[in-house]
Amino acid sequence: MNPEIIDVWKRPPAPEPREEMGFFTDTTLCIGCKACEVACKQWNQLPADGFRWTGMSYDNTVALNSVTWRHVAFVEQFDRDGQPSRWLMMSDVCKHCVEAPCLEACPTGSLIYNEFGSVYVQQDVCNGCAYCVAACPFGVLDRNSEDGRAHKCTLCYDRQKDGMTPACAKSCPTESIQFGPVRELRERARERVRELHARGETDAYLYGDEASGEYSALNAFFLLKDHPNVYNLPEAPHRPAAQMKKNYLASFAVSIAMAAVSALCFARGKA
Amino acid sequence: MSSQLALEPIPASLLPPAGNMLRIGAPGRAPEPTYYGLPMLKKPLWSWEIALYFFGEGISSGCFVLATAAEFFGGKDYARFIRVARFVSFATMIPCPPLLIADLGRPERFLHMLRVFKPSSPMNLGAWALTGFGVPVTILALAHAPGLVPRPFRLLLRRAPAKWLVLLGLGPAFIMMSYPGVLLATTSTPIWTRTRALGALLASSSMVTSAAALALASAIHPFMDDFAREAMRKIETAAHICETGALAAYLLETGRAADPIVRGSQARNFWYGAVGCGLVLPWLIHRAKGKKPRRAATIVSALLTLAGGLALKWSIVHAGHESALDGDANRRATAASPRNPGWRPSLS
Repeated sequence: MNPEIIDVWKRPPAPEPREEMGFFTDTTLCIGCKACEVACKQWNQLPADGFRWTGMSYDNTVALNSVTWRHVAFVEQFDRDGQPSRWLMMSDVCKHCVEAPCLEACPTGSLIYNEFGSVYVQQDVCNGCAYCVAACPFGVLDRNSEDGRAHKCTLCYDRQKDGMTPACAKSCPTESIQFGPVRELRERARERVRELHARGETDAYLYGDEASGEYSALNAFFLLKDHPNVYNLPEAPHRPAAQMKKNYLASFAVSIAMAAVSALCFARGKA
Repeated sequence: MSSQLALEPIPASLLPPAGNMLRIGAPGRAPEPTYYGLPMLKKPLWSWEIALYFFGEGISSGCFVLATAAEFFGGKDYARFIRVARFVSFATMIPCPPLLIADLGRPERFLHMLRVFKPSSPMNLGAWALTGFGVPVTILALAHAPGLVPRPFRLLLRRAPAKWLVLLGLGPAFIMMSYPGVLLATTSTPIWTRTRALGALLASSSMVTSAAALALASAIHPFMDDFAREAMRKIETAAHICETGALAAYLLETGRAADPIVRGSQARNFWYGAVGCGLVLPWLIHRAKGKKPRRAATIVSALLTLAGGLALKWSIVHAGHESALDGDANRRATAASPRNPGWRPSLS
C-alpha cells in the first residue's frame, strides 16, 4: 500500500512545548488609531465590519465577534460639570486564559492550548456546538452564522510558528500592545505600574496579571486606569466549572433518590 | 479558509438606545461604571432544539430508570408496565440525536463529539451517555416487539442478554437525567451559573415528566394494574416534591439573576406553564380526584404535567438569551467578593 495513505492514520508527534507567549496591552499608551483592528483583519483575512455608526462614541466596532478579533474601546469621561475630562482607550482581545473556560467546555477537543500556551480553535475539528460561546466570561467567542464554527484570536499562531510578532502588536505605533514571553511581560507590566504610581497616576493597575480567587491569570492581560466595567470587562469573572462538581452531586443525589423511592414503591405494590 | 467568513451584522440587540452617551456624561452625575450599557457576554445560541431535546431525553431516561426499578424490585407483576415503559423510553429517545445534530453549526461533524472522552465537558459526557444509552434502549425495545425486526435478526434479539443490557444502560440513563442542568450551569450566563440546584431541578422535572408520560400511556391504553397505578402515583408525588424543592433552591440561589423567568421575557412560560400547569394544577386535580381516579382526570393531569415540564425546560433554555445580554445582571453576577476578589484598582 502507498505509505502516504498509511501515514494519514499515524498521529504526528505533538509540537515541542515552547515558552508561553502573550500580550500585555498597556491602555495608557493607546491612542485609539485602530491599526491593530485593521492589521488583524488583513492578516487573518477577516471581512470588514461594514460602515455603520453606532452614534454613541468613536467605537463603531462595538464588541469582539467571530470576525473581529481586536476591538478598540473608547471611553469618554466627563467631570461633574459636564466638561470632557479624559479619554480611555483599550484594545480588547481574547484573554488567552491560563485555565480557559471555553477550552474546558469544548466537547470535541477543538479548543486546545498550543505550544505557545495560547488558546486555539482547531477549525478542522470545531462542529459549532456553541458551548464555548456561552462559557466565555468575557464574551469573546462567537459562532459565525455563515460558516457555523467558533472563531477568535489565534494569537497569530501561524506568524508565531515562523517566529514573527502577531499582526496587531507589530502594527501598534505606540507599543500599547506588547508581545513576548508572558513571564517577561508580567515583570515589565509590574515595573510600568510602579513607574506610573511614582508619577502620581495611582489609578493604574493590572487586570489579569495573576490568578485571583477562582479565576486563573490571563496570558493576554491589561493595564487599566478605571474600574473594569468601564471597559466592559467583568470585575471578578467566575470560572464556570467551579460549581460543576457540586451541581453534579446534587443532581445525581436527586436522581438516585428518586430511583430508590420508585424501587420502594414498586416493591411494596406487588400484587 | 478564512475567506469563507461572511460579514457579521451587528445585532440590533447589541446596540444601545441613542443618547446613551449623554447619560454617561450627564452633568452632576458620577460616570456609571458601564461601557455604554452594552452587554459583556454573547447570546447563547441554544434554542428550541435544545429545549425539546432536554424534554425528550428527560422522559426517555426517566422511563428507563422506572422500568429498571420495576424490573428488579417489582418482579413479574410489572411485566406489562415494563414493556410499555421500555417503548416510551425508546420512542422519546429517537428524536434526540436529530435535534442535537440540527443544533450544531456544522451538523455533518456531529461525530466529532465522540472524538475524545472529556468528562470535564458536560456536553461531551452527555454525548457519550446518549450513545451508551441509545444502544441498549433500542435493543430492549425491539426485544419486546420482535415483529418489527427483519427475520434474520430475530434469533439474535431473542438471545440478547436483557439483564446485562439493562445494567449497561442504567449508568448512562442516570447521566442523561442529571447532566442537562449541569451543562447549563457550567457557563457564564448569569441565570444559569449562579446556582448548584439547576442540575437537580432539571433531573427531578425529567422524573416528573416520565411518570406523567407513563400515566398518559396507561390511561389511553390501560396496561397498568391497580397496584402499578398506585405505585406510579406515589412516585409522581415524590418527584413533584423534589421538583418543587429544587425549584425553590434554584430561585433562592439565583436571586435577581433569575429575572428573565420571574418577570422577564420567559415569565409567562415559567409562571403559567412550568408552575401553573406543571405543579399547581396537577396537584389540585390530584387532591380533588380522591381514591378512585377517573380516566379523564388522569389524562388531563398527565397532559398538564407534560406541558409544564416542557415549559420549564423551554423557559430556562430561552431565558439564557435575555440573561446574557443583560449587562447589569452580569455586572452584578461578576462583582468582586472576598472569595473571588478579581482585578480592581487598588486604593493604595
